[in-house]
Amino acid sequence: VVDQIRLWQLENERMKTTSGFLFKDFDDAKEYEACAGYASEIGVCVWRNDRRAMFFASKHEQIRDFLKLRKKAD
Amino acid sequence: MPRAIRGVLIECDPAVKSIIVNIDSENHDYIIEDLDEQRCVVKETMVQQLKQKLNETLRHPHDNQEGSGSD
Repeated sequence: VVDQIRLWQLENERMKTTSGFLFKDFDDAKEYEACAGYASEIGVCVWRNDRRAMFFASKHEQIRDFLKLRKKAD
Repeated sequence: MPRAIRGVLIECDPAVKSIIVNIDSENHDYIIEDLDEQRCVVKETMVQQLKQKLNETLRHPHDNQEGSGSD
C-alpha cells in the first residue's frame, strides 16, 4: 500500500493536466499572431508554440468571438 | 479558419512523456497532438484510462524501465 501511495504521488507530481482547447490550422501567421496574442492577453493561453503556430487555451468562448469579429472586419 | 480541439493538456517530465507515447502507440487512442518532449494534448474521455495505464506501467516496469523502480 505504501508503494502504491508513493507511485500515485509520483505520478501526480510528475504530471500536470489542464482541460481546454488546442487551436491550430490557422490561415496565416498574422491570424495566428493576433489570436495567440489575444489569448495571452486575456490570460487563457496555457502553452504556445509560435514556430508550429498552435496554442492551448483553458477557455475558448472569447477566442471564438474574437475570431468571428476579425472575420467580419476583413 | 483555425480549429479548436477540445482536450486535456498534459505536462510532465520527458520520462513520463515517453511512457505516454508508448501507451498511445498501441492504438493511437489517446494523443490528439504531440506538442513537445514534455507536453501533449490527450482526449478528455481518455485521461482517466491513461492515468490508470501510466500507473500500471510505473508499478510494473516491464518494457525499457527495468530496475528503475527501486530507490
